[in-house]
Amino acid sequence: MAWGDKGGFDGGGPWGRPTGGGNQQQPSGGETPPGGGPDFDEWVRISQQKFQQMFPGGGDSKKGIALVFAILLVLWMASGIYIVKADEQGVVLRFGAYDRTTGAGVNYHLPYPIETVATPRVTVINRVEVGTRSGMSSRKGGETSIPEESLMLTGDENIIDINFEVQWKISDAPNFLFNIRGPEETVRAVSESAMREVIGSTRIATVLAEGKLQVEQNTRKLIQDTLDHYNAGIEIVRVNLLKADPPAQVIDAFRDVQTARADMETSRNEADKYRKDIIPKARGQAEQMILEAEAYKQEVIARAQGEASRFASVYKEYAQARDVTKKRMYLETMESILQGMNKVIVDGKNSQGVLPYLPLPELKAKSTEGDKQ
Amino acid sequence: MKLSAGLIGVAVVGVIALNASLFVVSQTNQALVLQFGKPVRVEQDPGLKFKMPFVQNVEFYDKRLIDFDAESKEVIAADQKRLIVDAFVRYRITDPLRFKQTVADEMTMRSRLNAILESSLRQVIGGLPLSEVISEQRAEIMQSIKNLVNAQARGIPVEGAENVTKGGFGIEVVDVRIKRADLPPANSEGIYKRMQTEREQEAAEFRAKGAEDAQKIRSQADKERTILLAEARRKAEILRGEGDSAATKIFAASFGQDEEFFNFYRTMQAYKKTLSQDDTTLILSPDSDFLKYIDKASPAAGR
Repeated sequence: MAWGDKGGFDGGGPWGRPTGGGNQQQPSGGETPPGGGPDFDEWVRISQQKFQQMFPGGGDSKKGIALVFAILLVLWMASGIYIVKADEQGVVLRFGAYDRTTGAGVNYHLPYPIETVATPRVTVINRVEVGTRSGMSSRKGGETSIPEESLMLTGDENIIDINFEVQWKISDAPNFLFNIRGPEETVRAVSESAMREVIGSTRIATVLAEGKLQVEQNTRKLIQDTLDHYNAGIEIVRVNLLKADPPAQVIDAFRDVQTARADMETSRNEADKYRKDIIPKARGQAEQMILEAEAYKQEVIARAQGEASRFASVYKEYAQARDVTKKRMYLETMESILQGMNKVIVDGKNSQGVLPYLPLPELKAKSTEGDKQ
Repeated sequence: MKLSAGLIGVAVVGVIALNASLFVVSQTNQALVLQFGKPVRVEQDPGLKFKMPFVQNVEFYDKRLIDFDAESKEVIAADQKRLIVDAFVRYRITDPLRFKQTVADEMTMRSRLNAILESSLRQVIGGLPLSEVISEQRAEIMQSIKNLVNAQARGIPVEGAENVTKGGFGIEVVDVRIKRADLPPANSEGIYKRMQTEREQEAAEFRAKGAEDAQKIRSQADKERTILLAEARRKAEILRGEGDSAATKIFAASFGQDEEFFNFYRTMQAYKKTLSQDDTTLILSPDSDFLKYIDKASPAAGR
């Protein structure tokens, strides 16, 4: 029962109260006790005494009333018990003024309206998406792009389509609760401004290629600095670039650049392939030519040496019997030549004045016959 | 019982009186105490506060940072380029009394701030070319806009500021930031076109570069091959020449011993090699040296 009461009281905390207008009257009614917290016990004791003085006679009905009051008092006191979960921090306010921060576990604050507590979740990481909203569209993926948020001008006056997400958490609960109004909107507005500032000083090629990390880090730092300047009690955990593309209108042209780059590589590779194909072949061919020449050289020399020594041997014999040897050689040669040859013997003296008819082709055809003759 | 009833009555009256004379200023608020509608005091520290019951009443003002997102404004930069600027202001009420006297509520404050912001944007951005607004000087621009807005909000006369409220609005402008500084849609189309043509150029350049490199590599390869082969041919010719010269030398040394016999000997060899084919027909005269004995076989042979 006490927990239910606590919830009700906490709901009436100062941050929950609408503060938009200026004409707010004092909100709470009921028995507002005089004095601050430290005197509270004293006040309870005195009021109990007064209570007893008010009903001096005693009696059953009076005792009954006193009992009811006592129970109400106990319940009221018990309503100050509250639990701070592991991911929360308790921020206790005494009459609206910040008093203390409590850690996880069961804690106690003086009951409403003296003290109230807020328990923001300080370890939870919140996400703010810029350029897109997940879950807003019923279509597949559940993402809706918001062009007026996602299209940005880059430093070289190009337009880039960027979606990013900022993860933040509460770093200082009292500052978070007391210093800024609309933390989510503040983070969003500051993030958008910071990202545009960073992109505005970066070239589009850098953002599209290797500069993503740099953009994320610079943006994170800029958001953090701005929020620190506001004393927002918010820590930017990280900035994620979800998408950094050229706008849809020109994305084909950008893709074609990638294709062209690949084409360039292909052309080079093909040329390289050609080169790797012909150069070794040429080397082989060159080697072959040289080796053939070397072989020729050896061959020619060897043959010369052979012929020379053969001549030398023959000459040696010839020198001993010149005429006979010469004659013999001549005849041997003639013998071997004329053996397999068509021969026609014409006597020049007998056929003087007459042109002898020689049917040369016929002779050729009858060469075998001629041999026999 | 009459006494106790009286006591209860007194207690009730006391509670009502306390209720009417106490109020809480929370950590996020500040309060203005009014007496018959006339402000008498400001409570800026949080805690439990007193006021005179029924005579005084209290108005609360936010003490936190208040956000004001202005609508997009079209501003013209120094180089006549139009720009859509979206900015936001973060301010804090520092003097509730002044605030109540000048603007009374946040709605009015917004419209006043909107006007101040617009004039400040025009003044600062109007003096700079577009490229500086977008890129390099963004931080400085925001700083000077903030100073300008702050000065006007505080009522300090500044050059170029049109609507300075004397004494200010009781607020402090903590930050002014440009969220968006974009070109109008018509100009965006131009940018898209330019981006497109730039990319097309780049793509064409890559392809041409690829063709150029390929050509270079092929030509280089062809050149290397030609040189390689020519060099090999040179070496081969040298080798052949060496062979020929060595052979010639050997022949000369050997055959030079008897030139006449060499002629005979070599001729014989040549006959053998060249005349021994089957399709050769030799026409001989009986007078020839080889056949001379054929004629001499007649009785004249004895001669």
